[in-house]
Amino acid sequence: MNNTEEPIPHNELARLAALKRYNILDTLPEHAFDDATKLVSYICGVPIAHISFIDESRQWFKSEIGIGVSEVPREISFCRYTIMDSHMVEIPDTHLNDRFKDDPNVTGGFKVRFYAGVPLTTPDGHNIGTICAIDHVCKELNESQRNALSIVAKHVINQLELRTKNIELDNQKKIAERAVLAKDSFLANMSHEIRTPLNAIIGFTDLLAQTELDTVQQDYISNVQIAGENLLLIVNDILDLSKIESGNLVIEAQPFNLKKTLKHIYKLLKVKVPQGIEFNLFLDADMPDFVIGDQGRLNQILVNLTGNALKFTEEGEVTVSVKLVDETEEHYSLRFSVKDTGIGIPEHKLVTIFERFKQAEESTTRRFGGTGLGLNIVKQLVELHGSEIQVKSKQNRGSEFFFVFHYKKAKHTDKKAESISKDKLGKLKILLCEDNILNQKLVRSVIQNFGFELDIAENGETGIELLSANNYDLVLMDLQMPVKDGYQTTTYIRNEMNLTIPIIAMTAHSLVGEQERCFDVGMDAYVPKPFKQAALLQAIKTVMNKDVNAVKKRRIDFSYLDEMACGDPAFKKEMITLFIEKIPAEVVQLEDVFKSDNHDKVKKLAHNMKSSLDMFMLTDLSACLSIIEEEAISGHFTSEAANQINLLDCGVKEVVKILNEL
Amino acid sequence: MRIILSEDNDILRKSLSFFLESKGFTVDQFSDGKEALDAIETNNYDLILTDINMPGISGMEITQYVRENIGSDVPIIIFTSSGVEQTELDSFDIGANEFIAKPISPAVLLVRINKLLKTRA
Repeated sequence: MNNTEEPIPHNELARLAALKRYNILDTLPEHAFDDATKLVSYICGVPIAHISFIDESRQWFKSEIGIGVSEVPREISFCRYTIMDSHMVEIPDTHLNDRFKDDPNVTGGFKVRFYAGVPLTTPDGHNIGTICAIDHVCKELNESQRNALSIVAKHVINQLELRTKNIELDNQKKIAERAVLAKDSFLANMSHEIRTPLNAIIGFTDLLAQTELDTVQQDYISNVQIAGENLLLIVNDILDLSKIESGNLVIEAQPFNLKKTLKHIYKLLKVKVPQGIEFNLFLDADMPDFVIGDQGRLNQILVNLTGNALKFTEEGEVTVSVKLVDETEEHYSLRFSVKDTGIGIPEHKLVTIFERFKQAEESTTRRFGGTGLGLNIVKQLVELHGSEIQVKSKQNRGSEFFFVFHYKKAKHTDKKAESISKDKLGKLKILLCEDNILNQKLVRSVIQNFGFELDIAENGETGIELLSANNYDLVLMDLQMPVKDGYQTTTYIRNEMNLTIPIIAMTAHSLVGEQERCFDVGMDAYVPKPFKQAALLQAIKTVMNKDVNAVKKRRIDFSYLDEMACGDPAFKKEMITLFIEKIPAEVVQLEDVFKSDNHDKVKKLAHNMKSSLDMFMLTDLSACLSIIEEEAISGHFTSEAANQINLLDCGVKEVVKILNEL
Repeated sequence: MRIILSEDNDILRKSLSFFLESKGFTVDQFSDGKEALDAIETNNYDLILTDINMPGISGMEITQYVRENIGSDVPIIIFTSSGVEQTELDSFDIGANEFIAKPISPAVLLVRINKLLKTRA
């Protein structure tokens, strides 16, 4: 072919741009394209087929059969003509075609005798490549084959489009994921930023309320307290949602007094009940006192629902009722209901009220307030309990929200929460690492209220210096500090200084995963800010007790028993089993006869038990028994004996645990 | 050698029996003083080991009975919990050959037993 004028489409630049957009050139083979090529080869009955794209200088094969190269120069390509056309180009016999009869690929090279090519046309009309069927012999396609070839061409373009869109989607997904991450960290930061000053507001208000105030001042202060608590609730709502969304909210399973909890909620809300509304709490006579579940979340659900009911009811009544609907050997099924005679909800809104930021009326927010998050949180919390919240409502007649929870049965024990007092802790010397001056002052006041001594370091570095220069009983650790933050400081204290001193994290973060991170680096407890004085004291008590136990981590000395057993492991095991079976029961028996003030029985039992404990060389526990026995002989029990029985009980439990683990 | 052991604490009694049996003695064990005394009356023991505080009959009473009523001079070792119970002196007064304060060292017990049996032999 001597034609020196190369065929160039009139819109070549736009065509090249269109090609580039697909990012297909020089990509790896893909099944979808290879399949299309095979299909062309089958349909047309040819040994050579390809899908190719033509850029400025070359024809590049995305997929090919019978060619064996990945690209050829554009100048020798048959297809440079095909992309000039909008239809199929078919040359039944190249030897009879003036344009191609002298082409090097006809006379030699690929020895092309038959050529059929369909341009690959983008939706915006650019021919970016071709799909071709080629043979070494003369051929003519029938109408079906031609149609099929055109259809495959369209499919190839669709495939290209799909591919591009998938890549775009992937990018969008990455952007979206980054956005979610950004939102999470925004929430974390906001919660920190809001909680830090809120901590100071609530804390100082509490301290202020404990000073001498006249009635007007008391009133003002209590208003500030209520507003502070409300603000905290809102911040907590937002945090809860982010926790639920990230799947990090765990429903706890702890025994709690259900009746007490419900009565507490009732009392709490009773004060908010407007005049003219009757507020009732109906408890099923058969309902259990104790169950195992998440007290805090039940509280949250009911306070939320009841708060709503009270808000939307102007006259009539609001009733919280709990009914035992089913009981199995292991579970109670309880139906909780909050019913009001308020404005009600239109039927078509019954579903959307549970959606975020949706209230029954757009105007509701303005009229009644609220974040629009409450019901959504309630719904999700109920679902996390494996249940479903349901609602019945008639407009202007009232609403009822109800759900059924399945609580595991709890052993009937009213473990009195240890009263918050600082007895037995003595005068602790505490180090606070905290950079915020308001919080420093607040913690100082609270700690002094407790009667402890406090030193303050404004960052972790200073904290470490103070810690190496002085003796402290306990460290309170803020997490975000300049120079060395709480995590780094704790890591240093544990790993470099090798100190086991109890460390309590105090943080406004309260973000998911944070608590774990605190424990991971070796902190002993976690108090979220704004902190309640009682919560802080409880944490201090917990870690101080833990510390005592940790130091005295019991090791059982079997040398005595070994001597008796003359090295016989089976006999040793038999005695250990006997101990496990016998001693805890005897402790219970001892507690019983002690309670009934039976001095003689106490004396005999305590005396007898001593030999068993001696066998395992539990001298401290044996000493407990000696004291109990002496008191029994004297005929008068003091609180000391009760203490010793407690110690004995704890000790024996610990020993049995260790023996069981052997 | 046949020994009677009278001790009401299961773990201690079983351990002592196991220990003494490992050392080649035959041990009859009782957790009740009365039953122990009945056994002493019907059998011929080479040695008596008894705790002081026992349900039924105390170790002191057993010792007294053996010496006064049965008229036997079989060696008797009494286990005491020092400080709380009768003193060493009391035990000797009523005719016990040895007293051992709890917690009982098996090695010490063995030495005392052998000494008593040897003296007697």
